[in-house]
Formats: sequence, structure tokens, C-alpha cells
Amino acid sequence: MIGKVVRTPKSLFRTGLRAGFAVGVLMAGVAAAPAHAVETRTFVIGWFSEATYSQDNDCVGGINPNIDDQYLKNLADLGYTPSQIEEMAKKELDGENSPIRGLMTSRARVDGKPANPYAYPAFVVDPKLKSSTSNLAYGFDLDGKPGPVEDPQTRQKGIDNEFARALGCMRSFRGSLESRPTYYAWAWGQLKDSMPAWVVTISAESLSKDGDVTVTFDRAFEHLRSNADGSPRADATYRIDPDPRSHNVLHGKLKGKELTFDTPVDFRLMQNPLMAPMEFKMTKAKLRLTLKDDGSISGIVGGYMPWSEFYLGLGTQGPGTEYCITGDIPGIYYLLKKFADADPDPKTGQNRAISAAYYLEAVPAFIASESAQATQHAPARE
Amino acid sequence: MNKLVNRRRVLRGAAGITVGLPFLDCFLNSSGTALAATNAQLPVCFGTWWQGLGMTPGRWVPDKVGAGYEVKVEMRALTPFRDKMNIISGTKYFMDGRPLETHTTGWQIGSTGRIPLGINSGASLDSQIADVIGTKTRFRSIEVSLDGSTQSYSKRAGSASNPSEGSPSKLYARIFGPEFKDPNAADFTPDPKVMARRSVLSYVADERKDVMKQLGASDRARLDEYFSALRQIEQQLDIELQKPAPLAACTVPTAFGETQPGKDIVEAGKNSKLFGGLLAHALACGQTRVFNINVGAGGLRKAGSTQGWHSWTHEEPIDEKLGYQKEVTSFIEWGNETFAELLRQLEGVKEGSGNVLDRTVILWQSDHGIARTHTMDFLPILTVGKAGGRLKTGIHVSAAGDPATRVGLTMQQIMGVPLSSWGALSNETSKTVTEIVA
Amino acid sequence: MKTTARLLSGAAFTALSLGAALAADAPAEVDTSTVARRLTADEYRTIITDVFGPTIELGGRFEPELRVKGLLAVGTTHVSVTSAGMEQYDVMARAIANQVVDAKHRDLIPCRPANDKAADDACTGTFMAKVGRLLYRRPLTDAELKTYVGAARVATAETKDYWNGLSMSLAAMLSSPKFLFRQVAIVPEPGKPGQWRMEAHAKAQQLSFFLWNAGPDLELLAAAERGDLDTKKGLAKQVDRMMASSRVEAGVRAFFIDNLGFDEFDTLTKDAALFPKFSAQAAADAQEQTLKTIVDLLLTHKGDYRDVFTTKKTFLTQELASIYKVPLVNDGPNGAPDTWVPFEFSKDDPRGGILTQVAFTALHSPPGRGSPTLRGKALREVLLCQKVPAPPAAVKFDIVQDTNNPLYKTARERLKAHATNPVCAGCHKIIDPMGLALENFDGAGAYRLTENGVPIDTSGSLDGVNFTNSAELGKAIHDNPASSSCLVSRLSSYATGRPIDTGMPWAQALLKNFSAGGYKLPDLMRDIALSDDFFSVTPPDTKAAEAAAPNQPAR
Repeated sequence: MIGKVVRTPKSLFRTGLRAGFAVGVLMAGVAAAPAHAVETRTFVIGWFSEATYSQDNDCVGGINPNIDDQYLKNLADLGYTPSQIEEMAKKELDGENSPIRGLMTSRARVDGKPANPYAYPAFVVDPKLKSSTSNLAYGFDLDGKPGPVEDPQTRQKGIDNEFARALGCMRSFRGSLESRPTYYAWAWGQLKDSMPAWVVTISAESLSKDGDVTVTFDRAFEHLRSNADGSPRADATYRIDPDPRSHNVLHGKLKGKELTFDTPVDFRLMQNPLMAPMEFKMTKAKLRLTLKDDGSISGIVGGYMPWSEFYLGLGTQGPGTEYCITGDIPGIYYLLKKFADADPDPKTGQNRAISAAYYLEAVPAFIASESAQATQHAPARE
Repeated sequence: MNKLVNRRRVLRGAAGITVGLPFLDCFLNSSGTALAATNAQLPVCFGTWWQGLGMTPGRWVPDKVGAGYEVKVEMRALTPFRDKMNIISGTKYFMDGRPLETHTTGWQIGSTGRIPLGINSGASLDSQIADVIGTKTRFRSIEVSLDGSTQSYSKRAGSASNPSEGSPSKLYARIFGPEFKDPNAADFTPDPKVMARRSVLSYVADERKDVMKQLGASDRARLDEYFSALRQIEQQLDIELQKPAPLAACTVPTAFGETQPGKDIVEAGKNSKLFGGLLAHALACGQTRVFNINVGAGGLRKAGSTQGWHSWTHEEPIDEKLGYQKEVTSFIEWGNETFAELLRQLEGVKEGSGNVLDRTVILWQSDHGIARTHTMDFLPILTVGKAGGRLKTGIHVSAAGDPATRVGLTMQQIMGVPLSSWGALSNETSKTVTEIVA
Repeated sequence: MKTTARLLSGAAFTALSLGAALAADAPAEVDTSTVARRLTADEYRTIITDVFGPTIELGGRFEPELRVKGLLAVGTTHVSVTSAGMEQYDVMARAIANQVVDAKHRDLIPCRPANDKAADDACTGTFMAKVGRLLYRRPLTDAELKTYVGAARVATAETKDYWNGLSMSLAAMLSSPKFLFRQVAIVPEPGKPGQWRMEAHAKAQQLSFFLWNAGPDLELLAAAERGDLDTKKGLAKQVDRMMASSRVEAGVRAFFIDNLGFDEFDTLTKDAALFPKFSAQAAADAQEQTLKTIVDLLLTHKGDYRDVFTTKKTFLTQELASIYKVPLVNDGPNGAPDTWVPFEFSKDDPRGGILTQVAFTALHSPPGRGSPTLRGKALREVLLCQKVPAPPAAVKFDIVQDTNNPLYKTARERLKAHATNPVCAGCHKIIDPMGLALENFDGAGAYRLTENGVPIDTSGSLDGVNFTNSAELGKAIHDNPASSSCLVSRLSSYATGRPIDTGMPWAQALLKNFSAGGYKLPDLMRDIALSDDFFSVTPPDTKAAEAAAPNQPAR
């Protein structure tokens, strides 16, 4: 049943403020900034997705098959003969009751018995999906080791972004920063009008002068406010959710219009479970941002992401999302597992994290602090 | 009965109002044969075309706003209908912080103006309209689906959907089977409520008229307009009390056999054409005045292809050179070709100097805006047909960021649903699309 | 019970029998009348809510209104009912009447028929007499009551249902011209042959529509019937009672909605690519913001009318705040509707006063840009009551309209290039300088300091007073005598439904008091309501008077 999401009754919010959560969080941000910080700009994130840089020919022999064809392959993996598969495919095409969907939603085998493939991806035959061979990917050198991958923006080498390699041949995870990958365009489009927004604060002595800079990321209570044309609305006001799990502080340098944050941090933002990962979490994260002339910012955040959480985000969505949007979900499980490059399990040695990079755009916003009511009388920016 | 008619005569004489005599004759002559209304307008009809999965940006919304807009490539098939059609672009379904159920929420808002709370959901706009214009026809409304399913978006308040008929031959049997009665041969019994309303109007005529005695000359001229407007209401009632004009265009279409269910777009297109022909005849024969067509876009696929329209929207990359999804745009174009063919079927049934489409309006809506990303904004909406002169057509209205319910409100109002606003929360609106209202 | 209607409830109702209703009958000696005003949509709605309660769904829609001499109120004396409009009145009347007799609302009817399937003249008469008095804003004549009782009887006979019959009779009354038009009955002035005055019930509705935007309440009708409204003292007592009521806010709002032309918002469009913040909600909130600003200043705080042009105090929603680029917190949960929050701009802020609000700057701008000319023209015409001639035919506007021309980056430069044409220059000289002061607000009312990267020069002058920005423009309008004389003219025109020019003696007298009292709107309303001119009537068309039969109750 659909119910209204009532996260924070007014009284609770007020109490929260008085109890010092919001104040504490905000103060933390400010206190951590240079003591003489005078200029602060605040934003709300209006677009967030994996930073993709798909190119022609980066998947040897073409990208992975569409889901219907993939299912026929999976049937073969389950042991069906070509003539059985052909018969099932014919039924499917004729619009008759074909068993394919049913077989696919139970294609895991646990103790020889059919089981849910999304819950038990390791018990599905690895469909051996293709991965990208491209050596161009956005991101950062996270491990300090040399490597072949180059960031197309910074031209830095030794970039760690195995996530882009893993999913680079899945249709709906392909795209560029401008032509947004379908999975994220879909998920963001579904969520932006209801999921609490993420807000960004940038503080420096002066944002028109090179020097030290601090950025904070937080989750708001409100969802992103949109314009009449659906674009993110600038200059709206957001309250910060005092939940410390979504509070992040990064220190870095400002040079010209570019902000770089090279000191690795743990980075975490709660998000709506419809979107994978179910919460955005990175270790050893680095960040770069650009101040744009129109007052907005964009940038890349990269780090090591626990891949099982990303997988669960897809796995809990199950067959509908697999069929309509993502493609073979257990196949993605195997890709992530294969390309995971950090945080080995002490027992098995299997890496539990994968290097990745995400892209964000944010528009100017007001962020309500403890003195919100007072700032309602403050002169505003132009 | 006689007594009443006599009194009417006396009242009329006294008030000096002339009302068309056929009305009285209708009561005095029980055979009814010679009494057909001569200037009765054929009634308006309303249809919906629900085609999921939106449109492609840059290929659907005309650049020019207002009259004389250019038809974009995805809409090419509808070019012949440009001047009978309106495009309303840029509207939005509002979430008000509620979680989104992809494909469901859009239909809910598009058809009922709101996201339902619990099971107590509202009526769809077509059933509100059917309650006004469809109460005297054999079928209050007819629902069909092109993909062979029983799904429809037509529902009465708090109840389940009115199921769609997916088979043209079954619909044929339902409308033109043994139950069908030739409307031109049917008996006629005037509605006692209409008779009562007519009697009341006659009864109060003098009381109203005496207002004229109390006015100065300029006010009297203005009140004259009121009284001529009132006379039109009386005449409408008079017409309703007469045996309806013969439906000259009513013919029983030729029967046909069972067709393939509409799983692929070729079969769905064939079925749509047959449905169109049946609906046109059903409207011409006065069997219904409201119809709903569910394209059922999601599952439709091209013959021989394993991938359906819906999965294309998500999985197909944007063609770097063309800048759009090639397969998806071809499905949307197919949808519009199929829609155009249905319109041609409605135009094909001539009624005097016009045709069935002229007195109909079809509302074309979708669950999402942009096909690839399933947006809740940039919604494509069309209206086709002049609704017997109640709509202006040939206009592109850009209503960016406005609730899509503006169009649904406009449709209901022009169909006579007594409604000054429609929808709930941010989807509520009292602002009709004035640009297209005649 | 929620359905309780404001006017149909209470002891007064149940005490009223058919006999009593008839006894309270009839404006005596009504001979003729003048200037029938068609009810506005708001007046219609308010009357229905007052009489039958807020749970009655109106349905239907209203015909467009007509603006004459700057006011829809003056237009109401010019409009009639078209056949499309009549169809809607008929639909609404039947929808309302059906609800009144339905199970949920039937308590509005104080009696029950002896038999649900047969007519009951006594019960019908009781109900129709009471309702008729409220809908017609005067007691029904005997003949009128008999008609509606008879109509119900006829309809009951045909449908075999008492409630159906009653509903149809009520529906007929609701689409009668006597309900839909505000007829003004006049009577000869006693002791002054050849002179006429408003009959007391006409006075009552003149008062209630002006002060409350509603029909007369029971107390006002009773006062009319007692003859109180024909005495200075009795009239003053009623006016003071009405001015003290919270319902006066509806009257003030209705006037400003009309005077500021907010009906034009219904057809206002903005190019979403250029003004993405101008949403449907923003358009609705913008009107409410201006009305809230006005009501708060003029009614709640009994402020100086002229301060509406300078006040820094207003109310904002979150949607509007993002247009003005100021922070505004919504304390509710995620997805909660926007809230109205009192807001005050700082003293030196160019924002402040209703001229700088979205409801003015966006309303008087074309879809794709701002327009100093349209704003200046609106300022002259709406707020100073000055007539600006229409532009000459065959003038080319391409320079003004091309906001991307690299030669003319700001509106000031574009207008300067355009107004080299001497035919245009004369008018532009009197309207542009005021409009240019509002150039800090783009075509959708959003605050800005530059246009195409060039700082905006907002200096200008009004009738010899120089200013440098919108705040000083507000001050110049505040100090300009035309702004207060214009309000007097507009408000008295609105009240009477006929144009009252600033030069007329009545307007002059009102202005004198208005100014002496510190420009308080409630005082001006009271002054108007107590004026002889407010109730004055045009001498009747003698031919009509002669032709008219005396409208005596047929007792």
C-alpha cells in the first residue's frame, strides 16, 4: 500500500535541533573549516550517477546481448536442449504462455532445487557477461600504483575504476556524462521528486582566491525541488537531516575554478533503496569539483565501493528490473565479484570492494541551519 | 398528460413566448413517426487513447506554439489530422513526496487526477464523462485493448477497472450480435425527469419574465440575451423529449472472424483498425458515447524480435549520431500510425456533411514523459476532434510545469461534467486549457 | 453537522412558517429598477456556501467576465448570459439543488412531506420562502412563492418524487435572472417628486457585496425590512457591524483581485526554457502573496494605503522564496505542502512593495522577457488611473523583443534604440522610466542585478521625482497624489459598478477624508458605504416606468 512518507514530525525536528544534532553537525562542518573561513556557498545535488565514458569498440564483439537473448543462453546453461529452447522461444514470440520467465526467476540451483537467482546469485551458472576493455575512465589513482587507465578529463594515469570496466558492456550502464546512462537516468528520474536530497557546502576564505577549501555533504529532509521544466530548482531551501551517517567533510585545495580533495576519506550518503547501491558508500574517497559560471558545480567522487551493497540494490529489485532495465542481475554479480580490487576477505581472499567513480551536478541552494529563522531576514544573493 | 400539455399552451400564450410547435405535436401524436427533430445536433462522444512510454525529446513536441504548429517526425503519421488536433506539451504529474510506482502512478494521476490513498481511489475521467453523456446509451462505455489484455484505466470510484476487450470479433458480437436493436426502429419513451424539468421551466416562465418589467431599457436589452439563452435550454429539453432523429449513418458492419491477439505490433495494428471501425459504427448507431483504448505499449514487440517496446526504452543506448533511441522512436511512430488509422476509421463513417470524428474528442495520454527515462514531466498529451464544436483545434499549447490534470479538467468540463476543479494536492487544478475551448 | 449553512441554520429558520414568510413579504411599491449587475463567480460561490453550506459542490464553470474602465465590477453592468453560460448556470443549479435535497444535506429542509411521492405545498412553501429570501436578497412576492411551490408540485407529479420536485423547483430559482443578476429596485424619494432612491433590500445587497463580497446576511435583511437602512443612524450601525466582521477581508481581497487584474493570470504563460522557476504553483502563490501583503498591512495593521508600495513586510512560500532568492524553511515533513511564512526584506533592499512582487512584474511581462513598457503602462493605468495611448499602428518592435542582440544587452539600451522614432518617443518617455526601475526583476519576477552580463541601471523619474531603484520608485508612487486619488476612484467604481472618475465631487470628498484620516482603507470603505452617492440611482427610463405594471403581491 502506498503511504505518505512521514519521516520527521515537526516536533521531532525541533527537538532534534535543540538536542544539538543539526547544530552539532553544522558546527562540525564550520569548525573543521579554516578558522578564518568567510565565504560559504551551498548547493543541492540535482544529478548523481556513475561517471561513465563509453566509447565505440570498448566491448570486444559488441555489448552484452539484450535480456531476451540472454535468457535463451541462460536456458542452455540450465541444460535445455536447442530444440527445447527454440520451442519455448516460439511460444514467447507467439504470445502464448511461455515457461521462460518462470524458469528465469528460479534459475538458481540450491541443493539441486530451483531457487531465487537474485537472492542466490552465486548459485546461478555464471553467464560470463562481457566487460569493457577501455583504458579511459573517470576517477582517481586510489592505490598509488601505476596502471593503464587514464582519466579523459585530467589525463591522469593509474586511475582505479574497475566498476566502469565491470559494467561497461551492460547496455543501461553505458553512456557519457552528457548522455546519461539509462539505469541512472531512470532511477534518478523516479526518485528525485520524493527521495530526500543531498546538499553540499563549500567554505573557503575566498572562493575567488586559490587556497584551502572545505566541502561537506549531507542529506536533507526535503526532496529535490524542481523547476517547471523538470530541471533542479536553484535557490530553494533545505534542512539538514542530523543523521550523522550522511555527514561527510573533505578538506582540499581551490585553484582557479577547480577544487581538489586528495586526502582519502570515508564517504557515505543514505539513499532510497530503489537505487543501487542502497546507500552510497565509499572508502578512501577522493573528490574534485568545478565551480561553473552559471553558479552551479559539477564533479567526480571516486573511491572503493562495497560491491555487495550495489548488488543487493539490484538484487532486491528482482525480475522486473532485470527484464526491463539492468539486464542479467546474477551476471552483474559475477562481474562485480570478478573485478573487485580492494578489501580482501581475510578468510577467502575475495575482494569485497571495487574502485568506482560517480559524477554529480549541483545547483545553488539555501541550507537551513539552527539560525534558519534568522537567515530568513538576511539579504540574499543575486 | 393532456391537462399538462394544455396548461403549457395557455402559459405560453400568456407569456407570449414562442416555442417550436413540434414539441407539442410530439405529445399530441402518439405514433411519433412524423415528429423527428429537424435541427437536432448529433450528440458528442468522448474517447481515450492510453499509450504508455511517452515520447522522444526533440521528435514529438513542436517548436511553434499556438496555431499552425509544425508536426514533428515522431508524429508524422498524424499530419493529416493536424488541424483537428491539439498538442498540450510540458505538463507534469506531481508526486507530493509520495513514493513513485513507475508506470502506475502516472496512469493514476492521468486518469483520476490523484495518487490514490488506500483502496478508496477516485473515478477515472472517462467514467465521470460517461455519467453525463453516456447514461442513455446501451453501453455506458466500451473498453478495448490493442495488446489483447483485459487491462484498462477506466474505473468507477472505489471500484476495479472496467475490463478491456482484447478481441475485435468478440467486441463485434457484443455490440452487433443478437442483442443489437436497430436504433431507428426502437420505441421512444420520454424521460419523466426531462419532462418534469421542461414543465418547471414553463411554470416559472412568467415569474422570470416579470423581471423585465422592472428594468430600464439598456438592462432590458441585456436580459433579452438571457432569455434567448434560456430558450436554447428549453429547446434542448424539447429535443430530448422527442423521438431522436434517425441515425442515418447507422449501419451494421460486416462480421469478421477471430483475429490474432495483438502481441506484436502488426497484429495489434490490425486489431486497432478493426476496433476503430467497430467503435465508429457503435457511435453512429448510438450504442455508446464513450470509449477507452488501451494500447498496452509495454509488452508490444516487433514480429520476430525478442525485445519489447518497454525494454527497448531502458536498454537501447542513445544513438550517438542520431541523438535518440532508434528502436524506441520507431515504436512511438508505430503508435501514432496506429492511432491515425483509428482516426481514419472514425472519419470514415459519414453523418450528413460531417463524420463521427467531428462530434468526438479523443484524449491521448501517457504514463510518462520522456520514453528513455520514464519522467513524470514533459508529458505528451493530444486531443483529437472538435467535440461537435466545443473545442478549437490545430493548436499547440505549451504548459510547462503545469499539472497534466488541466487537460483532464478541460475534457470533463466541455463534456458537461459539473466540475470547477479536478485532482488532488499539487495535481489539483481549476485552470482549464482555455486556448482550446471554443 | 458540517453541512450547516451559515444562513439556513438557527432558530430564526424553524420559527418561520409559510404564513410568516408571506407576511414578511414584498418590497412595497417597487416601480422600476436600474443597472442589473450579473453576479461574479465569487459572489455566486459565496452565496451558495452561505446559504447551503460549504459541502455543496458547485461544479460547472463561469463565463468570462468583462473589464470596463479597468474593473470587472464595472463590467458586470454590461454583461449578459450567453447560451453556453446559461447551460453552465443550468448545470450548476441542478447540481446544487440535487445536493440540497440529498440524504447528506436534507437537514437544510426544516420540514418533511406527508408523503415522499406526492407534493406538499406547505413544506415546499416554508423552504422556498426562506431560501428565496436569501437567494433573491429580498423576500419573494406572493406570486413568486406560488410559482415555485407550483413548479415543485408539477415536477413532483411527473417524477412521483417529492424531493425531485423540490430540487427542480430550487434549480429553477437558481437559474432565474432574479438570482443571477443584482437587480436594483428603486422607489420614489418620499416628499421629493421626480426623485428616486434605492429600495432598502437593494441597499442591503449593495452593502454586502461591496463590504463582504457576499449576499446580505439575515441581520442585514432584517435591518432592511425594519427600515433601518433608510436612516443615517441605522445605516451606520450596520456598516460598523459589517466592517468589524472578519468577512470584510473577503471584500478587500475581491476588490484588489479585480483592481490588480489577477484574472489575467488564468491566461498568463511564460516560456519555461527562459523562466523555469515560473511554475503553476508560483503563479498561484504570487497572487496570494500580494493579497496577503495588502490584507496584512491595510486590514490587520490598519496601515496607510500608500505603504503598499514601500512595505518591506510580506509573506512567502518556499516556491516564491526561490524566485526571490531568499531562504525559507518549511517545517513540515518531506513532501509537505509549502507553508506561508511572514518575511521582511531589509531596509535597503530593492525588493519590497507590491510593485516588486511577482504578481506585478510577471503579470505585466510578455512570455519571453521582461517589459519596462508594459510595467510602466500598468503602473500608470492601474495604480495612478492615467490613460496611456495605444502604440501607433505599424510600429516595428523587433529591437525591443530581441533580448539576444549583442548591441543592446539591457532593456534600457533596447528601448533607447527603439524610441528614436519620434512617434513612439512621446509615450515611452512617460511610461518607460517607471518600468525601467523594475528591471531588477526578470520577466517572471525573479530577482537579478545584471542582464546579459551587464549591470542593470534602474534609475528613472516619475512626474519630476527622480529615483535610482525600485525601492525609490515605490516611494515616488507612495508620495504621488495620483496613487491615493486613483484608489478612491477605483474603490468607489468597484462599489457602485459605475465609473467614478477622480474629478467627480463624490470622489473628491472621499479623497479629502481619506487623506485627512491617514489613508486608512477601512475608513475609506466605511465612508463610501455611508455615502448617498453609493446608493444613488440613475433616474428611471420614464417610458419603462410607465409601461411597467405595478409589481404588487397578488394577495
